[in-house]
This record gives sequence, structure tokens and C-alpha cells, in this order.
Amino acid sequence: MNAWIIAIVTVIVAPFIGGLLAGIDRRITARLQGRFGPPILQPFYDFFKLLGKAKIASSRLQLIWIYGYLVFMVTALLFLVLKLDLLLLVFVIGFAGVSFALGGFSSKSPYSHIGANRELMQMLAYEPVLLLFALGVFAVNGSFLISEIFNNPTPLLARLWPIFIAVLLILTIKLRKSPFDLATSHHGHQELIKGIMTEYSGPYYALIQLTEWYEYVLLLGLVYIFWANPWWAGLIVAAVAYILELLIDNITARMTVGWAVKFVWSVGLVLCVLNLIYFWLLPIKGVS
Amino acid sequence: MDYNWMMAVAILLPVVAAILVYILRQYHVRGIIVVVTAIALIINSILFLLKGSQTFTPANAQLWDTVVTVLDYLILLFYIYAGISLKNWLVLIFALTQIVPLAYFEFGMGGKAALEAINPTFVVDHLAIVMTLVISIVGSLICIWAIRYMYDHEHHNHIEKSRQPRFFFWLVLFLGAMNGLVFANNLIYLYFFWEVTTLVCFQLIAHDLNKEAVNNAARALWMNSIGGTGLILAMIYLFVKVGPDSLSVAKIISGGIAPALLLLPVALLCFTGMIKAAQMPFQTWLLGAMVAPTPVSALLHSSTMVKAGVYLVVRLAPAFAGTKLGIMVALVGAFTFMAASGLAISQTTGKRVLAYSTIANLGLIIACAGINTPLSISAAILLIIFHAVSKGLMFLCAGTIEHIVWSREIEDMEGLAAKAPMTTAITTIGVLSMFLPPFGMLLAKWLALEASFTIPLAGILFVIASAATIVFWAKWLGRLMQVLPKLGSKIESLSLSYTVPLWVLVLGIFGLGLGVGPVYEGLVKNAVANVIASGQALTTSATGIVVNGVTAVSSNPSFAVGSYPVWPLFVVFAVGILIPFIFVAVKPGELRPVYLCGEQVEGADADEWYSTADAKTKVQLGGFYFKGALSEAALNPWTYTLSIALLVILFGVVFLAIGGAI
Amino acid sequence: MGIIATSRLKSPWIMHFDNSSCNGCDIEVLACLTPLYDVERFGIVNMGNPKHADVLVVTGPVNRRTARVLKNLYEQIPGPKMVIAVGTCGTSGGVFHNCYNVLGGVDKVIPVDVYVPGCAARPEAIIDGVVLALQKLAKLQGVAL
Repeated sequence: MNAWIIAIVTVIVAPFIGGLLAGIDRRITARLQGRFGPPILQPFYDFFKLLGKAKIASSRLQLIWIYGYLVFMVTALLFLVLKLDLLLLVFVIGFAGVSFALGGFSSKSPYSHIGANRELMQMLAYEPVLLLFALGVFAVNGSFLISEIFNNPTPLLARLWPIFIAVLLILTIKLRKSPFDLATSHHGHQELIKGIMTEYSGPYYALIQLTEWYEYVLLLGLVYIFWANPWWAGLIVAAVAYILELLIDNITARMTVGWAVKFVWSVGLVLCVLNLIYFWLLPIKGVS
Repeated sequence: MDYNWMMAVAILLPVVAAILVYILRQYHVRGIIVVVTAIALIINSILFLLKGSQTFTPANAQLWDTVVTVLDYLILLFYIYAGISLKNWLVLIFALTQIVPLAYFEFGMGGKAALEAINPTFVVDHLAIVMTLVISIVGSLICIWAIRYMYDHEHHNHIEKSRQPRFFFWLVLFLGAMNGLVFANNLIYLYFFWEVTTLVCFQLIAHDLNKEAVNNAARALWMNSIGGTGLILAMIYLFVKVGPDSLSVAKIISGGIAPALLLLPVALLCFTGMIKAAQMPFQTWLLGAMVAPTPVSALLHSSTMVKAGVYLVVRLAPAFAGTKLGIMVALVGAFTFMAASGLAISQTTGKRVLAYSTIANLGLIIACAGINTPLSISAAILLIIFHAVSKGLMFLCAGTIEHIVWSREIEDMEGLAAKAPMTTAITTIGVLSMFLPPFGMLLAKWLALEASFTIPLAGILFVIASAATIVFWAKWLGRLMQVLPKLGSKIESLSLSYTVPLWVLVLGIFGLGLGVGPVYEGLVKNAVANVIASGQALTTSATGIVVNGVTAVSSNPSFAVGSYPVWPLFVVFAVGILIPFIFVAVKPGELRPVYLCGEQVEGADADEWYSTADAKTKVQLGGFYFKGALSEAALNPWTYTLSIALLVILFGVVFLAIGGAI
Repeated sequence: MGIIATSRLKSPWIMHFDNSSCNGCDIEVLACLTPLYDVERFGIVNMGNPKHADVLVVTGPVNRRTARVLKNLYEQIPGPKMVIAVGTCGTSGGVFHNCYNVLGGVDKVIPVDVYVPGCAARPEAIIDGVVLALQKLAKLQGVAL
């Protein structure tokens, strides 16, 4: 029964946190660019405005997939707050990503087509890192369950800091920040219009924004578990990571998708593998 | 029912049915025979399940021994004939490397003694029952689907003199051979059935008789002949070093033979299995096999025959438990999983993507067998089941699509969702079931990853392969989805011979996925116990599956390594995909053309835009295939070098271990 | 509807379309985004896509080729939507009004809500134009701006 309450509270509260995070993002970005910036609540105004717009679509299929994106992203978040299996959580995120990409493919728009292909390439870049993150957690705790992370008094960060750096890279991709803002493009209107999201408008676009808010909370939650004990340490880590992402977003240029894959594989993947090799040279906890 | 009869239905009924379809050449008669045989086999396989583990030796064993021996030589003589008539020296050489040692073994060394020494001839344990269920149910559905497919195939290609009787002769015969193969305990019988499947494979790949088909059939033949040679060498080694009664699978895995003596024959048998399962560097025969009509690809080259290879490796897992050979088997499989998944990205032909994905998944199963823990063996057996259903469905979808768009190219399937909504919906379920939660394949893959910690390098290869898997499946599916802004596409009408197997397999995917708990408890758990006895890796509960940490990681009984909520994820799938699929609607007035910088031609469903001088230009989209970085030409030098090196190391560790033991 | 109506006024996403302007007004439109004017204070964001836009900002006179494009873009914007014609040319055709290929102001093709004159229109005027459009929208919805 307790799990149900946690789940319901999460589903209700997470969008507010995610929306506020998005608002803070826009405010800080504006300040970094020497501007005043919009109100913190701006994402919520955008969201409700979009809800009130006329429904238009360019195919029925694309609308179906966007629900899959939302529902699986919420599921992934629930996996995190209910402290279930980390490895499975990564696969659930994978479904959300695939569903989003398929939404992009589901109309004959060149821009969303390119965006969807790029989204898949980005998945090729970040999936292995997230999966290796799960394997790394196993190497530390002897279990893939997130609940075991909370039971362990030593923070993950102490022993998985190379994987933490790799996860920060993935965070940049997943938050759609420069230099990896490739599939949907916050700033590259001339090149890509709005990538996968080009054909989504009004309420459907609002759904994407909602999903992104859930995603923000999920991703920062994944950063949080690097220092789960005591409870406030993770918040500090997550906050620092988030500010760092905003900084990176504002001081880097958008790169190409080929570069993104090469970079993440050659830096992120190598960091993960080195970290794991270090662990496998030592015995896994409890294994004789 | 009498066990004699059950064995006869499993192995001999397909032979009788095969001869009948060859003689009675009418379309409808053939259909009835195939459907009746299919139903008989399905019921029979369920009877096997109910009977449980049994052993069987035919009543007049000597007669059957003689039949098997005579047919062995007939098949091998046919290979020699094929080698000479096709002027393919590789076929000839590897036919000779089989027939010469076999003849020497049976007549020069008194190998016939082994035939009598081994009792029982057939062992039907739970692992074999899993296999026979897969063969009988999935295989039979594919045969039913083939009835209409072959009719359309010949109709479309304007073939005057029907070759369908011949086709169905081999196809139905194959089911019997496969059942014999999985039941066989005596290695000589195993070898016989192994050769029958190779022969059927050759005949069916060559079915269309064009140059490419014959060449690829010959390649499949000589590569699998290397495997056959390995099997014979293993038999001779066992016969000489251990004794006539050691040519028994049950004996080999019983632990009764000194491990040092077993290492080489087991390595040879695994090698044979790897060739049958098209592991790198032997993947080319399976890729070439895709020229065959799609039922062949579905039945032989994804659901069943190639599974014989992984079945053999899983079966032999106890014999290499705890050795370096086990680690090498795991690495060969894991490497194939990664390399084949990577190569699949650059493929433009639907069936080649399926072929690479098959090779990859077989690699994963072999890797699981190599990891050799209760958890990984559970994963391997679940993969055998789920992969057969999902990949069988995918091939049937590919074939159905082929008969809608008359092409195998992925690019030609663009916008299929508008042309054939039902086929697209089924294909979508098939594709999603290959690599995403909540379906069984993902569950098994998840188990494999959780089991990979004993061989970490395998785990890393799994991870890379999983990422590549997402890309090649999703971008194929994406091409099907690319539709114009148009409403009201009509559901296509297809022959029942197409739709019934398709829908049964779809139901199977959902049923098996949802019922993975009961399937594990009732079927897989016992099959795992046939392979590895220590400890139970999983517990199933009302909500899902929990991976126990007791045996591997912690002594605390409540400590879990992982958990998989089965039905909650299906609920999520229903809420996220199925319900929107049914209820999301677009009103005609809400439809807008796609954004083309405002230059689109009038009309919501136009896919043209005004180019220079107002020329109407069609929007053309194409998939990404990464021909530069990920093509076969770019990657194959690496994959061949590494996979051959792995095989060399595999045999190297075996010889080193034997040398050390002596 | 209250929260949606309020939100509409606080989040006008604009799409900028250049008919056949001399680029003077376009530079002023882009100047609005710079730190000096920073229209994002009002929630105004420049979108590259009509499907996400609420306000269509059009510069330059309509000519025979751009008329079709302008109409297409306008139809792809989901309602409720506003159109602002910026600059003298956008409002009336300006110095180009009797060119052989020019139809005239933006209102020859699509309904215009706000006219922002000027050659080129100053950024302050353009921002004022957006605010006027919002006031018109507020009046239509019966909400205070």
C-alpha cells in the first residue's frame, strides 16, 4: 500500500519539480547570456498555453507513440522512486526513447525524420554507458536493486567516480544540451527546425514537455543515487551536476551526431570500462 | 498414449506426411495434409510435456541401427555427388572428410559396437521437451503459413511446373529430423539427424535453382560439413579414449568421465554447434541462406534448425562447467552477439537484418551456456523459447510484407502502415518484442546481463550489442511508420494461411510474456535442472520474477540481485501503446500537411513541394545505414580476425589443458 | 479556461517570416532577442516552426512567390493565432508597393491583427506590437492583461 502512495505522489509532484527545474534552467541560461530571462514559472505558462491550442497533427501514428514516450518515462521514474531494478530501469528508458524516435518517424517530415535518426544515434551512444552504470552498481553492491544502493552507507561516488563522469556526459545528451542538442534542437532552427518535435503542436507538444519534466527528475534522480546516504548529499550532487550541465550548454557549440557517438564511446565508455576493470580485479562484495 | 506411438508421431509422421505431399500434388490436398500433420505434432508435443522426462529405445533396435547407418552413407554419397556436379571442391572435400573417417570408424575400428552399447537411444528430458514444443508449435505454424506463401511465390514468379511438392517434402520432413535430433542420446543417431537437417537445409536453400541460390546452398553445405566432421572426430576420440558406451550424451554430461578426457570432444561438439548456429566466422552461410523462400528462413534459419546448434552447446554445458573452455565459449558467443548486432545496422535488406539479428541472439544463447550458472542457463532456455516465437513471427511478417510490396528492401517498405495496417501492427509487435520490455526476449536478455558478472568481458560485449540492437530495429520500424497525413486506411485482406499463424504467434508473444512465471515454473525450471543442478536462480511471484542472490552473491536468503515486475510492465505497455492505439483519433479537420518551409504543394496529404521554378518535387526520405563506418566491408576484417582468434584460443586452451593433464 | 487564457498572454511564441524585405526589419526583429531588449522576459520565444508558433511576425512586402508560402505558414499555425505585420513594407508594400511582382502589404493574403510601421521598425515598436496583439487577445478572451 505504501508503494502505491509513493507512486501516486511521485506522478503528481514530479512534473512540478521538473517544470521548476526547466524554469531555473531558462533563468540561469539568460543570466549567463547577460539577459534578465523569463519568470521561473514560464514553463508552466508555456505548458498551459499549449494545452489550450487547437489540435493539429500530421498523422495518427505519431500521436500514439507520444503516449508511449510519456508512459514509459513515468514508469522509469517509478522504478527509481520505488527502488526497483536499475538495469531494467535503463531498458524502460530505452522503450521511452524508441517510442519518441518512432513518433518522429511517423510522419513524412524530413526534419522529424532526421531528428529521429539522430535520436537513435544518441541512444547508441548513451545506452551502453547507462547499462555499464548498472553493472558498476552491481559490482559495488552485488545487486541491481536501487534499494541496495540506499542500504549501502558508502556513497557510490567514492568508488564509481569515473562512471559518474560518464553519466554526466549522458546527462548532457538526455537533457538535450549543447554540444549534444542534436535530435530536437533548442537553438538550431535553421538547420533542423525542431527535429523530432517538428510535427507535434499544441496539446501534443505539451505532452512532450510534460515527459521532459518527468525525465529531468528521473535523470537528476539517477545522479542523486550516486550519494544516497545521507539524503541531502545526493541533492547537493544533483544540484551541482545540473548547474554544470547548464554551464556546459552555454559555453559549447552544437557538434555533429557522428562526433557525439565517437566522443561518448571513446570517453564515456572507456571511463566505464576502466572503472569496471578496477572492480573486477577486486572481489565483488560477498562473492567468495 | 503409448510412448512408442508418441515417438513415431514425432519423428516418423513428418516423414510419411512428406512423402504424401510429394505424391499428392494438388494445392488443397497438400494444405490439408500439412494442417493435419501440424495439429498432430502440436498435440503430440503437448503429450510429451505431460508425460515428463522419459527414455526410449525402439523395439527392434538393430533394424533402426541399420537404417540409420545406410541412410548416413546415402546422404554422404549425395554430398559427394553434389560436390562433383556443382564442381564445388569445398563441398567434395568436406564430404570426404566425413565419409572416410565415418567408414573407418564404423567398419575399421568396430564403431558399430557403440550402437549396441548405448542404452537408451533416445532421452526425452525436459530440455528436449522444450525444444520439441518449439519445433512442433512454431515449426508447424510456419508450415501452415508456407502453404499460401509458396502458392503466391510461384504465381508471382510465373513458374510453369510447380516445385511446391518438392518444397513441402523437405519442409515437413525437416520437422521429424529436428525432433529426432533433440531426442537423440546416442551420438551416432545424433549425427544422423544432424546430417538430415544439413541435407534439408541444402535442398531448401537451393530451391529456386538460380545461380545465387545454388552457390549459397553449397556454402551452407560445406560449412555444416565441417561441423559434421567435428562431430565424427568427437565420436572417434570418445570411442578410443573412453570406450564404446561413452558415445552417449547422457553419459558425457553425467560427470562419470574424467574431465581431461572430455575436454577435446566437448570442444569439438561445441564447435559443431557453433557452425550450425552460424557463429562468427561461419556467419556467411546463414546470410546466404536468406535467398531461400521465406518459410525456409523462418523454419530452418531462425526458429528451429539453427537452434539445434545452441541446443547442443547448452546440453553440453555441464561437461565444460568450471573450465577455461566454458569462458571461451561464452566469449565466442558474446563476440558474435556484438559483431552481428553492429553489422545489422548497415543492412538494407529486411531479411539480412533478421539474419544478423538471429546470429546475434544465437550468440547470446551460446554465451549464456558458456557463463554456465543457473541464472544464465535459465536465460538461455528462455531465449530459445522467446526467440523462436518472436523471430518466427518476424520472418513471417517479412514474408507477408514481401508479398505485399514485392520487395525485400527496407526502403521499399516505406509507409507500409498506410498500405497494410494490420501487417504493420503485427510487425510492430514483433519488432518491439525483440528488444523492449515488457516482452519475453527482453526479460531473457535482462537475465543474461544480470548473469554476466562471472565473465565481465561478456557483460561489456552484451551491453554494446544491446545498444546496437535498439538502433537497427527501431530504424526499420521507423520506415514502416512513415506515412502521409491521410486518414482512413483500409485493413488489407490476406489469406487465412497468412493471418492464422501470424495472430497465433502474436498471441503467443503476449501469452508467453505474461505467463513467463508459469512457463518458468512448469517448463524451464526442470529444463535448467537437466543442465545444471545447483540452486535455483529465480523465484516467481504473483507480480513478477526475482533473481535470487542466495547462491551467487549473498548468504542472506532475502537478498535479491534483481527483480522484474512482469504484469505491471504489461499494464504499462497497454496504457502506453495499446490504449492510445485504439482510442487516439484524428478528425479530418485536424490534419495538416508536414512542415516544408511553407513550400508544400496544396492538399493535406501532398508529399511534394515547389522547388526551383515551381517544379513539383517529391519529398524523398531514406534510412541511415552508415555504409562507411559499419558496412560489412569495413567491419568484416576485424570481425573475422577476432572471431578466428577466439576459436584458435578456444582450441588452444583445450590442448593446453590436455597437455597439462598428461 | 482561466489558467489557459492567462497562460496564453504570458507565452506568445513568435515565428518570424521574411517576405521580400530589405532585411532591415529582420535585423530589428532579431535585435529584440538580444540582451539589450531580451523579449524572453515576457515569455516571447522565437520559434522556427509554424506548428509551435502563436504569433506570426511578417516583414517585407508580399510578392507573387511568397504569397503562397505565407498562406501555407499561416494555415499551419494552430489557433488561436495572431499576425503582426512589421515595417512599412509589411503594412502597405512601402516603396515597393507598385512593383510588377509585389501584391502589397501582408493583409492582402492573410488577416493582420497589428501593424507596426517604421522603416525600419524599431525593436521597441516591435515589442509594443506584440504587446498590442496580446491586449487584443486578452480582450477577445475577456481576461485582463
